[in-house]
Amino acid sequence: MEIKNVAPPRLHIAFACLGVAFLLIFSWVLFHEGAAEWRSTQARFRRLQASLKNPHQLAQAASVGGLRQIWLPDLGRVDRCGTCHLGIDDPAFATAPAPFATHAGTWLSTHPPDRFGCTPCHDGQGQATDYTNAAHQPQPFLARPMRPLETIEANCGACHRALNPPDAPRLAEGRRLIADTGCFTCHEIPGFEGLTFRGPALSSIGYKVRPGWLAVWLHDPKDYLPQSKMGNFRLSPQESSGLQAFLLSQRAQPPIDSTGIDWMRANTANGRALFGELRCVSCHAVNGRGGTMGPELTRIGDKVRREWMFSFLKDPHRAQPDTPMLQYRLADDQLRDLTAFLFEEYSSGGAAPESPPVTYQDARVLAEGRAVFERRGCVSCHQLAGIRDTGRIGPNLAGIADRDPDELPYGSNVVRHTTDNYIFLKVLLPDTLGQPSLMPTFGFTPADAATIALALASIRKSDLPVSYVVGRPAQAPYRPGGKFGALVDRYRCLSCHSVGGYGGDLSTVPLDRVGSQLQHDYVAKYLLNPGAVRVSVEARMPVFHMTADEARTIADFFADVFVDDKIDRYDAHFAAVDVRRGQELYGQLGCRACHQLGTKGGYVGPELSGTGARLKPGWIAAWLSQPQAYKPGTLQPDYGLSAADARALTAYLASLGGGGTERTREGTTP
Amino acid sequence: MTRSASHALAILVLAVVASAGCRSTPQPGDPMLDAIRAKERSGDLSYAESQGRNLFAQYCTTCHGDEGHGDGQNASNLDPAPPDLSAPNSGRDAVYLTTVISQGSVAVGRSPLSPPWGHSLTHQQIAYLVVYCQALGRRKPT
Repeated sequence: MEIKNVAPPRLHIAFACLGVAFLLIFSWVLFHEGAAEWRSTQARFRRLQASLKNPHQLAQAASVGGLRQIWLPDLGRVDRCGTCHLGIDDPAFATAPAPFATHAGTWLSTHPPDRFGCTPCHDGQGQATDYTNAAHQPQPFLARPMRPLETIEANCGACHRALNPPDAPRLAEGRRLIADTGCFTCHEIPGFEGLTFRGPALSSIGYKVRPGWLAVWLHDPKDYLPQSKMGNFRLSPQESSGLQAFLLSQRAQPPIDSTGIDWMRANTANGRALFGELRCVSCHAVNGRGGTMGPELTRIGDKVRREWMFSFLKDPHRAQPDTPMLQYRLADDQLRDLTAFLFEEYSSGGAAPESPPVTYQDARVLAEGRAVFERRGCVSCHQLAGIRDTGRIGPNLAGIADRDPDELPYGSNVVRHTTDNYIFLKVLLPDTLGQPSLMPTFGFTPADAATIALALASIRKSDLPVSYVVGRPAQAPYRPGGKFGALVDRYRCLSCHSVGGYGGDLSTVPLDRVGSQLQHDYVAKYLLNPGAVRVSVEARMPVFHMTADEARTIADFFADVFVDDKIDRYDAHFAAVDVRRGQELYGQLGCRACHQLGTKGGYVGPELSGTGARLKPGWIAAWLSQPQAYKPGTLQPDYGLSAADARALTAYLASLGGGGTERTREGTTP
Repeated sequence: MTRSASHALAILVLAVVASAGCRSTPQPGDPMLDAIRAKERSGDLSYAESQGRNLFAQYCTTCHGDEGHGDGQNASNLDPAPPDLSAPNSGRDAVYLTTVISQGSVAVGRSPLSPPWGHSLTHQQIAYLVVYCQALGRRKPT
């Protein structure tokens, strides 16, 4: 029987060639897989392991053949880095060469790889199994190459949302700069919700400032004050003059009448004494030294009008309801002396004559100034009646770190196209990215701009499972009412002190448990004439000139309300043997290195000779037992004291000055 | 010359011009990274050492001084005075430094004035401090 050959001979040849080609490809794949980079790496590791470990340890070590991967479904990651980084969790490889070396630090114990993988912290291509494709170095067409150590803290910030995350100082510094610069007033920035940043309200600025100063300020705030928080808005001369006319026309509320003040009788020596006594420099800097909460005063005489200054010192809250500045209880003569002192001491050209406020009539110029004010979003920081708050004018920064770097503008800057570089340039030089920008130039140093960019680069699309997020504790505003509330408002206690995390941080003493810490009578007395408890702290509590009745109200409220139930009342009488043992401990532990007692000892911590009259014994014991829990970052070391030792030290300290009972304190702390 | 040959020539010329153009543009940089590195280099410190410097500034400088010379603002109150940590003969050994920092100077038989930080700082923080203390000796002022 003859079988008919259906295929023509040419197809035979084609099939044969195809077969050979498949065979070649198959053997090439086999060869390629066999010669993969990670296989030779693992072979090197096995040799290294054999040289480092004795046979017993070798037997215990897991075999290292094959690919290793960590799958984190909730993070959407597959990390095969462990295929080559084989000694990463084994201290025996501490000095081994890359890629076998042990992971630096103790990071793996706080971030175990089976929960955190590698790329969530380091970036890079976790699924790749060779050096190049894992993007250890930036590679064309590979997104998210590994972060160098210098910027790795940006990835800490993806989970650690607190403003001051532990062990990430660069991130913390960046977030501090963002909070201080007030970026979140124009941009919605995840993690900065609830913070406020305010410049002065401008409704009566026509009565406040001198026209010459305003012209300089609008041209570039740094010309008047190098550390100004306001950026340079790069206004054209026309915009600038319109805005100046518009602002100087804002005169909603005249200052408190000071026509009856006889300025010729002003005693500037008394003003100088008051300036020191009121502790103005705790919040205001002069000649580069002092606090930063209030405006710098070095050239304040060039900036504001005298009647306005008098009025502001008399009642700061009338003109600026939100100001952190407290209202002192001063007589008109004292206010006059203080004002005259400020104008004599802190102005560059002597007391230049003040022209009366000018009224601008040109409606076109005023309208133009108003348009500039609205367009540049001035209202985000400065309240002004009649200007609608239009919300944040800058773009929302949520997910900014996940923007596609190739879609972002870089202008004429020759930089690698990365989100980091874009953010950095935008922060440093917002007008050089090839697009008109409404954002002011803040004049950051490159290092500061890089730190801010690092903090912003931690803001990823928020698809992290909540179990990974270490959040920022929510802060409820604390607004007490009644008599105490009125005092808190008048003396602006919360500008420096905090309650429940709300308030300022200039003071080292949050008020949350102050009633459990301080003796009632001590508080009532201290408020009348606050001295320095810590000699080395420069910012001090001002002398408020408050009445004894007011001081007692505050002390009562502290004792009744700001109490921590966890702190033992402890008001037991101590045995003499405890006191003696405490005194011994005081010497043995070297407390004198930091604390002064009488004339001996250091001045890092509080002077201790009046401790018994100042502190409640329960607090002393609680503080000594776990200082870091009450004040993270404190210089008071945790000595790991036993309960008996803590009690003995408490007995000794409580016996100093007051014996724990209410006795008159001899002499105040220096 | 045929049409295809002239096309090939044109493409070749274009390719040469393009490659020359590519070579003449400057290499794109990483200004953000450069800024951070410049700041770091100013102290001539590695990443871990600069972390240690931050901790040193917070916890140690009051007595040991900004550069570890034993000239902090509180040093004059101390007897014995704090040693010069940058001196060539001061302890460089990581184990020794870890002991002093975490258990206090009393743990190595010296005065109790330098307190133990082992209960207050994390192991990581102490490790950073140790490398910074080692770097203090390396960075002799020139």
